[in-house]
Amino acid sequence: MVNPIPPPELDLQTPRDGGPGGSVSSHVAFRNLTVRYGTKTALDGVNLEIPRQSIFAVIGPANSGKTTLLKCINRTIDFISSARVSGEILVDGGDVYRQWNVYELRRRVGMVFPLPVGLPMSVYNNVAYAPRRAGLHNRRELDALVESCLRRAMLWDEVQDRLDLLGTRLSGGQQQRLTLARALSLRPDILCLDEFSIAIDPVTTMRIEDILRELKSRMTIVLVTNLVQQARRLADYTAFFSAGRLVEVGPTEKLFTRPEQQLTERYINGDYG
Amino acid sequence: MRDDVPNNTPPKYLLAAETAEGAVITLGSADSWEELLDLLAGQPENDGVPPMAYRLIRTAETEAAVKKKPRREYFANFRGAGGAGREDDGTESAPWWGLDHAAANLAARRFDDLPPLAVREWIRIRHKEPFTPGALERRKRIKEAVAEYVFLAMTAALVIPIVAILAYLVVKAWPALSFSFIFQNSEDSQAGGIWAPLVGTFFLVWISLIISAPIGVLAGVYLNEYARDNWFTRLINLAVVNLAGVPSIVHALFGVGAFVLAAGMGQSLLAASCTVAIMTLPVIIASTREALAAVPMAFREACWNLGATRWQTIRTLVLPNSISGILTGVILQVSRAAGETAPILFTGAALFTSFPYHLDQPFMALSMHLYAICTQLQGVSDSVQYGTAVVLIGLVLAVNGLSIGLRVYLRSRKKW
Amino acid sequence: MTDGWRLFKRAAEWLIEAVVRLCGWSAILFIFAIFFFIFHKTWPLFAEGFDLREFLTSARWQPTSTVHPCYGILALLVGTLAVTGLAMALAVPLGLGAAVYLSEFAGGKTKEILKIVIELLATVPSVVWGFIGYMVLGPIIIAVTGAPVGVNLLNGGIILALMSVPVIVSVGEDALKAVPDSYREAALALGASRWEIVYRVLFPAAKSGLLAAVLLGVGRAIGETMAVLMATGHAAQIPHSLLDPICTLTATIAAELGEAPRDGTHYRVLFLIGVVLFVITFIVNLTADLVVKGIRTEKE
Ligand SMILES: Nc1ncnc2c1ncn2[C@@H]1O[C@H](COP(=O)(O)OP(=O)(O)OP(=O)(O)O)[C@@H](O)[C@H]1O
Ligand SMILES: [Mg+2]
Repeated sequence: MVNPIPPPELDLQTPRDGGPGGSVSSHVAFRNLTVRYGTKTALDGVNLEIPRQSIFAVIGPANSGKTTLLKCINRTIDFISSARVSGEILVDGGDVYRQWNVYELRRRVGMVFPLPVGLPMSVYNNVAYAPRRAGLHNRRELDALVESCLRRAMLWDEVQDRLDLLGTRLSGGQQQRLTLARALSLRPDILCLDEFSIAIDPVTTMRIEDILRELKSRMTIVLVTNLVQQARRLADYTAFFSAGRLVEVGPTEKLFTRPEQQLTERYINGDYG
Repeated sequence: MRDDVPNNTPPKYLLAAETAEGAVITLGSADSWEELLDLLAGQPENDGVPPMAYRLIRTAETEAAVKKKPRREYFANFRGAGGAGREDDGTESAPWWGLDHAAANLAARRFDDLPPLAVREWIRIRHKEPFTPGALERRKRIKEAVAEYVFLAMTAALVIPIVAILAYLVVKAWPALSFSFIFQNSEDSQAGGIWAPLVGTFFLVWISLIISAPIGVLAGVYLNEYARDNWFTRLINLAVVNLAGVPSIVHALFGVGAFVLAAGMGQSLLAASCTVAIMTLPVIIASTREALAAVPMAFREACWNLGATRWQTIRTLVLPNSISGILTGVILQVSRAAGETAPILFTGAALFTSFPYHLDQPFMALSMHLYAICTQLQGVSDSVQYGTAVVLIGLVLAVNGLSIGLRVYLRSRKKW
Repeated sequence: MTDGWRLFKRAAEWLIEAVVRLCGWSAILFIFAIFFFIFHKTWPLFAEGFDLREFLTSARWQPTSTVHPCYGILALLVGTLAVTGLAMALAVPLGLGAAVYLSEFAGGKTKEILKIVIELLATVPSVVWGFIGYMVLGPIIIAVTGAPVGVNLLNGGIILALMSVPVIVSVGEDALKAVPDSYREAALALGASRWEIVYRVLFPAAKSGLLAAVLLGVGRAIGETMAVLMATGHAAQIPHSLLDPICTLTATIAAELGEAPRDGTHYRVLFLIGVVLFVITFIVNLTADLVVKGIRTEKE
């Protein structure tokens, strides 16, 4: 499926602060971001702008630093003691290391990592966990929220009668969708999905993709994927990373049909990586 | 048979079979090695009892005598058939599959670096039942069984005497054990009646628990959840390890110096409880850490990703999922505190006091009582002494059994 | 949620974390406090010109003598070492054997039950062990060897051995369990029997863990008080045979602190013995810990 309305062509590598250069300010921006794990450089001088309310795909061969990029957005990179971050990461124009309260930041950025993790509590509590921590205790509101999140994650039909089942007892794919539901539970502005579909069957994946297109009007979605076709189906913009460097970024259609870099062309044709 | 060979000259090659009874029966003769192998391959596949081995023999022209030992030994599965294409080398671990397979391999002499048989030499091909242990394996198995029994004997040498001793204690204590022995006080501590020391032990355990459990559990939380891997944390770990290793009598000295004298508590229930509390602290810290470490890191990360703070994560996820393990450690502390004698010897336990106990007064404890009636007081009947020991053991084992039971129960309902 | 409430929760959380940190640091505090309070009591001795050399090298321990009190702990040290050595000679082979049996041979129910039994043994209080030595083992020793007294080095050694076995077994079993299964599988694939795995693969791979087990047993034995107090006969002399009664550092403190006049020389010397014990066990435990650390860094 090809996006009906082609996204505007934007220069996504030079800073746009809503100044005279561009009318749209970007939602997430990386300025000269470099991340090192010990001596290994995982990201090297990345400059990237992620526009609002779009689906932004990040593709690249293994070890190209895609997951690392996501970890920088909500600062979960802080948990890795060997990691050193330099450069700027801006969310809503604010530097995540200076202007943002890290807990507030993480609530605004929903994150789904590839390994499915059901928390050892009921399915209901899994989804209600974060809203409760953020201060929502009204039972009716919680019920509605849990239902809507589970529906969006395509899990509601399977678990609606068993909301008290332990999250860890779900199947792998169900747990992954539960992780997605949890990430949606705080109504984040930014949703980061890291290979969210590896444990989910193709049919359900397609349905979730439809939901993501819907959600786009409400949030910015950053989609890391190893499935090049998924990026092509879904994304408005695509960035191609290789060995920690941003090789090319642009509207998905353009990147896939008229790539500027040879490396990109070879990767999307399956010759490389 | 060729006509030009005289009948009385023995053939050059013989094929013989060894039976289970040890007899060697000649099955046929041949003029050449190749013919002999054909003969071997032509032997019927024996579905019943196969011969133990076949012998391929080369004799002299004039006499049939052969050497005592075979030149080589090979193995083949006589019941097998159709081994063609298999790469077996006729060893015990890779026997040839059927006689034709054996013959083919011997003909190709693929595995035999020897020249064809010299005069008076012979080869033995033994039957190897598939999937049965070979000689090496049999030897290994015997060794293994011996090792197992040696280790079992060592374990038994530890466990049996101790269990026997405990049984002996119970038998000797039997005459004294009664309801009134446990639940009544005696006037002069000669006639039994251990209620007062029992109650004292109860107080000691609870007060020390109240002191050490919060500190120990929180210290465990700190070490597992907050501490980074740096020199300071290593220092704390070292301190915990050494705190666990400090002899109980040194704890007693510390109790005397710090609580009895410096803090002015005097010899009292409180001073003794404080001493025991510090002594049991490392047990609680260690078991708390273990319980917390059993909660997978991925759960914490999932919560942190959702914007939960460290403490929120601990309170809502880590502690609820490890509380039982922590409890196990705390109960272990209880059982240890109940049995300790040395640390309360000079900090508050008395040979004889009367009810009621006060925090700032000496008290009686079961362990101290046992020590006293055994070595300090004369003329206490044996059965009373044994009875006191048995009650103390029973108390400690019961508490400890509780913790083991809890652990088993919890393992059965693990959440992940 | 009002801002005030949110602020309150922040503050509460900060407070809780502060308390947690404090508790975490408390272990260091306690170790220092123990050393300080014991050492503090011995301080006046040195002001008085106490003869430290005699303390460490003389075998005469006559603290209550009115004419010429002597404070030499050599006999006590030798007693401690002798009883510990004997206990280890008995407990280490058996304990490690049992550890091997548990981790490599026993299976299913047997293993569970044995582990529980050994764990329960670990909790039998030391005063009960002392009682067993005094009342049960003593008469047996008299009957078997014809010794005049049943409470002696042999008795204490056996009792201590039984007491330290659970530590050795459980730490030893942990060390064996820590050997990755891939080692065992590799050896099995090469056709090794379980026995060969034990002595060709496991012992070399787990040797530092087993050493740590032994060291922890030693630490346990050196520090044990009540059992040796009751089972060794309490005679401050250098033993010449297994059947001599002896006296250890720990037992001396336990037996004499109650009678020693407070703040007299005897009293302070007993605290000094406490310092010696503290230092010895500190070294033993530190070594055990370093050995365990060594394993860990090797693995990485
Ligand atoms: N915790 C870590 N410690 C050390 N190095 C790490 C860590 N996490 C990632 N790396 C290194 O950083 C580089 C980039 O890793 P990253 O996980 O970002 O790759 P990726 O693009 O997500 O790969 P994949 O497609 O396989 O998920 C890799 O070389 C990896 O080895
Ligand atoms: Mg990745």
